[in-house]
Amino acid sequence: MTNPLKKIKQVSADYKLLDARDKKRFWTDGILNNALYILMAIFVIYTASVRPNFLTLGSFANLITQVAAYLPMALGIAGCIVLTGTDLSAGRISGLTAAFAAVMLQKTDFANKMFQSLPKVTLGWILLVMLGVVLVGAIIGLVNGYFVAKFSLHPFIVTLSTQLITYGIILWFFGLNGNNGQPFSGLSKEYKEFVGGELFRLGNVAVPKYVLYAVLLVALMWFIWNKTSFGKNMFAVGSNAEAAKVSGVNVFWTTVLVHTLAGAMYGYAGFVEGVRSGSVAATTGLNAECDAIAACVIGGVSFVGGTGSISGIILGVFILRIIFVALTMLGVDSSSLYIIKGAIILCACALDMRKYLVKK
Amino acid sequence: MQKKLMALLLCLAMTAALFVGCGKTDDKKDEVKATVFWYEESDVYLSSVRTALNKELEAAGIKYDNQFAGNDQAKQIDQIKTAIAGGTNLLIVNIVTSGAPDTAQDIIDAAGDIPVIFFNRAIGTDGSDVKVLKDNETACFIGTDAPEAGHMQGKMIGDYIVANFATVDKNGDGVISYAMMKGQEGNVEAEYRTQYGVEDANAILKAAGKAELKYFDANNKDCYQVDQDGAWSAKAAKEYMETNFVTYNEASNNMIELVICNNDGMAEGVVAALQDKGYNKDGGHVVPVFGVDATENAVALINEGAMIGTVKQDAEGMAAAIANTAKAIAGGSTPVAALAGLKDDRFSVAKDCDSKLFVAYAPYTK
Repeated sequence: MTNPLKKIKQVSADYKLLDARDKKRFWTDGILNNALYILMAIFVIYTASVRPNFLTLGSFANLITQVAAYLPMALGIAGCIVLTGTDLSAGRISGLTAAFAAVMLQKTDFANKMFQSLPKVTLGWILLVMLGVVLVGAIIGLVNGYFVAKFSLHPFIVTLSTQLITYGIILWFFGLNGNNGQPFSGLSKEYKEFVGGELFRLGNVAVPKYVLYAVLLVALMWFIWNKTSFGKNMFAVGSNAEAAKVSGVNVFWTTVLVHTLAGAMYGYAGFVEGVRSGSVAATTGLNAECDAIAACVIGGVSFVGGTGSISGIILGVFILRIIFVALTMLGVDSSSLYIIKGAIILCACALDMRKYLVKK
Repeated sequence: MQKKLMALLLCLAMTAALFVGCGKTDDKKDEVKATVFWYEESDVYLSSVRTALNKELEAAGIKYDNQFAGNDQAKQIDQIKTAIAGGTNLLIVNIVTSGAPDTAQDIIDAAGDIPVIFFNRAIGTDGSDVKVLKDNETACFIGTDAPEAGHMQGKMIGDYIVANFATVDKNGDGVISYAMMKGQEGNVEAEYRTQYGVEDANAILKAAGKAELKYFDANNKDCYQVDQDGAWSAKAAKEYMETNFVTYNEASNNMIELVICNNDGMAEGVVAALQDKGYNKDGGHVVPVFGVDATENAVALINEGAMIGTVKQDAEGMAAAIANTAKAIAGGSTPVAALAGLKDDRFSVAKDCDSKLFVAYAPYTK
């Protein structure tokens, strides 16, 4: 986080010292390494020229609201990617915790209330439920981490298994008390207000409170990643587990804790998700991990392991949401959205790997 | 280093552009721009509605585009908010989570005074949608009377079996064993079809003095097999049938004698599985298979004799109802008046609520 102006001066001073060939390489490398951002800039300008509405305060409020909703899961899953792993169970874990939160926080007088004898929805109860679902997420994450670390299983396999198990629990839970798979709705006003209540208005669009929570989460994760020994250990294990072990890092606990922390984040994501959809169905959270992984990868959290930054993740989530918002506003049928998203992920990864290949 | 720099420049450019853009006015105000939100892109029946609706909207001169939510309610709400921010002034919504009036209310709230036409997927069960529709005069629902398809399917099954009891009862034990393919857990349509498809058939069998239908697997207390992905897919139905055949087949004298499916997609999967085993083709024994929707493929199968019957969900009728309502609303009419103005015997306004329109089902057999 150095002064950007100083950096520009530094770069231009360095640039003057280069010879003609190196100067050319400076530009080609510069363009290739930043191709994604250049393309995004062109895309944003194009969208703005065709749809002036794209660049209004209301539109910006809509964008940051979406970013805030997608950030927690990406922040969680990023840790798993730093360890060269992945997490396929993220979406289902958030689906499960969304369901738990919804039934715990239904309106007291709601006719189809799942559990009749629950306390009145007060701020204390909401916080307790939030902690509860975060804990549920963390426990599933702990299971993931334990199996990855203890048996040296690839996280792909472990989290695939927990994804299925979690979905099974979701289906079973939706069938309880004669609910017969019906979606959970009738969320209490207090819960909706706590998560989705108006923080402030931008243009004529309300920015919900979970944007503030997302900012707090970013601060927390930034602190954990950069200022704690756990964070440093995570990067050490990610870049070379053997070397980390030799230098005294507890690889087992680092892996377990990274997954547990990730699980806690999915738990929180689920807590918000119910309010965002207005109700929770068994399909809630389906495939949510795909977007989270994509955001991390676009933001430079590499599957090579040991690299990534919180700012990169935020940028990745922003890029994905900008594409979504822009294409929706342009009225492009969403079939092409998938193609564009796929192409961007591919480009981002290829460009990312190119840096490593050049280094070697 | 450079990457961060570029990112920073990008952000600066965007923020700058943001404020530049603020002063600009919206697109032409009086132009109607509709956005159609679909719960999922690959649903067979909805694809035929979409084809018809695109044509109808073009003919009506309404600008439109299609958005797919990939079976994700939160994503659909994001799409709706984004489309509104982008200047859409008519929402046509195929809600993802059917049976949750709160979600419908959230969408209406997000829309503000923009009219919302919900269609196909019911926003509430057992009349729980009436309150939302009555409270919000900008919203209406165009769909089908969910239980009707189940009743119609059940009647068709009952009539067919009574007429062909001896042929259908393959092992001659006097009881028809059936399999039931459910499209999705918790979906209103799926629930009703699963229930009435069997109940109504049983009522007819009983009246004719025959034994009631018996679910083929005594250990399955649910009496149905459901697409775990909630996608009403042919694939899921085919895989279930292939697995069922391992234990339940002619050699063991416990062959499944009737298959009831929540939709035609699943019925197609079942027919494919049966045909792999040599049934339902070339003069072989036909295990009766029933679906709902009357998709082109299902109609072809019925005409070949590989499938027995389906319930026609009128895709063109649905599309015409939506487009005509959209046109009336664009012309300044309220949703209630728009629905009331639809003069066509394919449609009828619901008895419990005047902003709810039903498109009629019709049985389809060879």
